[in-house]
Amino acid sequence: MRILIIGAGVSGLFIAYELLKRGLKEVLVLDAKTPGYGASLRNIGCFRSSFTSREHVLLMKESIAKWLEIKRDWGVFIEQRGYLWIARREDTLDVFRELAKFHNSHGVPTRVIGVDELSSREPYINTSIVKGALFDPTAGKMSVIEVFTELYIRVKKMGGIIIPHTPVERLVSSGGIVKSALTPRGEYAADVFVVAAAEGSRKILESIGVNAPIEPSPRHPLVTEPYAEVIKSGLVIDWDTPGSPHITQTQHGSIILARDIKDEPWTPLNSQRHDAFEKIIKPLSELYPFLRNVNVNRYWMGYYDMTPDHHPIYGPVKPFENLYIAAGFSGHGLMMAPITGVLIADWILHGRPRISVAENLVLERFETGRLVKEIAVVG
Amino acid sequence: MGGEEVGVEKATIICRCNDVTLEDINKAIEAGIDDFELLRKYLKIGFGPCQGRGCLLIAARIFARRMSKSLGDVLVNYSVRPPITPIPAKYFTTVSLAFQGGEEVSRGGKS
Repeated sequence: MRILIIGAGVSGLFIAYELLKRGLKEVLVLDAKTPGYGASLRNIGCFRSSFTSREHVLLMKESIAKWLEIKRDWGVFIEQRGYLWIARREDTLDVFRELAKFHNSHGVPTRVIGVDELSSREPYINTSIVKGALFDPTAGKMSVIEVFTELYIRVKKMGGIIIPHTPVERLVSSGGIVKSALTPRGEYAADVFVVAAAEGSRKILESIGVNAPIEPSPRHPLVTEPYAEVIKSGLVIDWDTPGSPHITQTQHGSIILARDIKDEPWTPLNSQRHDAFEKIIKPLSELYPFLRNVNVNRYWMGYYDMTPDHHPIYGPVKPFENLYIAAGFSGHGLMMAPITGVLIADWILHGRPRISVAENLVLERFETGRLVKEIAVVG
Repeated sequence: MGGEEVGVEKATIICRCNDVTLEDINKAIEAGIDDFELLRKYLKIGFGPCQGRGCLLIAARIFARRMSKSLGDVLVNYSVRPPITPIPAKYFTTVSLAFQGGEEVSRGGKS
């Protein structure tokens, strides 16, 4: 059986990895640009399971278990340091208590912590403006580049073929079966097709009359020069400031600062904004006063590939018998990637995923109106 | 193949910001990284304050030669990122310093 995966991002490569591990021999991955060109290497490398939908919580718990196996087997930097959602206002703690109740009922051990515990976890935080935090001990951070590179090398060593600079222009189908993918470098035929091309999936699927409602929403992270460890947690999020400014520190020592800034979907990735610096740095330097003394080194953009209900699109694409999708992760593609690989491989080889809530995330939900609800999207 | 040659590779620094040597590049290529953007990111070449001005072309030429590719092919997806040179964050923090005991006065963007 020959599998063609469109998109050599972290999702596409984990699907390839899983299929190769289960003994498939012919796995081909095409990418429009270079491997990891999109959100895979533009994200800030954090993960959590404290979501507010059953689907996300259950899938993310399994994904984190996979990440911890990967940490052990590959020897890469993945650290379960926890997330801190910071409250600047007293009444926010009530919201956090409600959220913790939901998480706890789904087996995610989040809890509300006071200023004392907060400052022992984050010694450099300005305790005079915070009231407490919601702590998610399951969350953490990883070295995205190290993990992605290791994955890339492993897929190739297992016999996967990864072809860069080969954008799929359209799919060719006949009688409910996808036959081939057309690229400027020629036509690629296969038995099974997987579209894992983030926002690019939309155009590829339109070519066979399928609508995948994915809107890429621009994000604006800044990164500083490397410093000694000052941010201990996986991610610290300023809940009470609009756009939830957030901050993390990489293994290398650079501090990553980001905030949701209102921007038009599909804005090109080279449209950096001069106002991003002030909007991002100002609120975070209130939380971490030492930030006034650091240098900002780089600023890049990346997309959250948003779907109408902020959940990924997984599984078979009807009415085609041999077509699958894994896209529209709405900012959570990296953290879900290991479980994405497992689920899509299950669907291809056994007709259904091992975690049944994944079936709620099929593309048809946008037509049948059975959307999934999620309220906390950041991070 | 002698010890001397290894020594030279180890002593040849390509990226000064992040101390990346010729040996690091050769090892990464041998490990199977056959894409320059991935290699560059993996070794953090051009991630330092020089923004790649000191190292990028040297690294790209070494990679192109090793992989028998043209320099244009190797650099096809490279993007320059702002700021051109590191910017002190304090220029964007016109904060009220009341909560800090006024240990340092922010100069804002002007002086």
